[in-house]
Amino acid sequence: MKTLAVVVTTPPYSHLTITALTYVEAALVAGINVIGVFFYQDGAMHANKDISIASDEYQAIAHWQRLQQQYQLPLHICITAAEKRGITCDSIDSEQVNKAFTVSGLGELVELTTKASRLVQF
Amino acid sequence: MTTIEQQTLASLPKGFGLAIINSKAPFSSNDGKDALDVALMFGSFEQKVSLFFQGDGVYQLIANQDGRLVSIKDYLKTFSAFEFYDIEDIYVCQQSLVNRQLNETFHINDVQVLTSIEFSKALNRHQHVLRF
Amino acid sequence: MSTLHLVRQSAFATNDFTQCLSVLDHQDTVVLMDDGCYNLKHSLMDSLLKRVDGTININIISSHAQARAIETMAKVSHIDMADVVALTFNHNKVITWQ
Repeated sequence: MKTLAVVVTTPPYSHLTITALTYVEAALVAGINVIGVFFYQDGAMHANKDISIASDEYQAIAHWQRLQQQYQLPLHICITAAEKRGITCDSIDSEQVNKAFTVSGLGELVELTTKASRLVQF
Repeated sequence: MTTIEQQTLASLPKGFGLAIINSKAPFSSNDGKDALDVALMFGSFEQKVSLFFQGDGVYQLIANQDGRLVSIKDYLKTFSAFEFYDIEDIYVCQQSLVNRQLNETFHINDVQVLTSIEFSKALNRHQHVLRF
Repeated sequence: MSTLHLVRQSAFATNDFTQCLSVLDHQDTVVLMDDGCYNLKHSLMDSLLKRVDGTININIISSHAQARAIETMAKVSHIDMADVVALTFNHNKVITWQ
């Protein structure tokens, strides 16, 4: 079984994130089992519900949500990275966290890495 | 190391564990600290993790630094805890040291200075690679 | 043990490509993507192409190159993201240089 875990360290407004999204979608379309995307460093900003990107620009967050719904793709954000960037994660129903994302810790990255046959960082 | 641990290690496939490449100088960015947090988490889950220092990343290992002088919490001091997390393989790129006119004087013990070819071979012994 | 190298930075701006080349092994594959596409015209590319002799495979993401008006080069294959996914599993591991 081809299993893939992906680490995203770029924020939702970075053009580099578009490449990560294109790659993950290509993997899903190819039938690869993408066991999870882990958002670390500036990548954690994806879970901030208050981020608003001009409507004529690329909507990275909406695209991650679409992949999450369409393929049940697990999206994990690192809690330490998120809180450092002003996203309050202390309660399960934190209003600031986008529901498509699961608040996780670095332990989740360990688990994804040990389970995946390939780990790719963006 | 106990016999059981040795057996477990011996039974693991040739390429295993995580290699973390550190490529940034210690104080101007968070990358060194973020990489350290990942390494310690792998260590505490008893997962094999090795650290590689290349390019400006070698500055993270140089002795006599003091981040407190520029109001930075000195995470480099935590490097001395690697042995408690069973992080034993710490590799530094010799060419990167030479390019920066640095001596092989580090603030932790058991750092292995490798030529580019050895550095590449050591990387190849791992299944996954993250770079910060 | 072969490695897939994803190069995302211009060597005119950072040392990432230099560091990639210093660990590049036989049987490895290089993919230029994002600003890594600009490396096609960097002097480092000349030395890499001399080393290629059939064992190291060099590729560029077609749309990323086209978007930047970067000309094609005979020894560099144009690929798309589905190819990168395939390459991910044709190699033992992936290193991203960004």
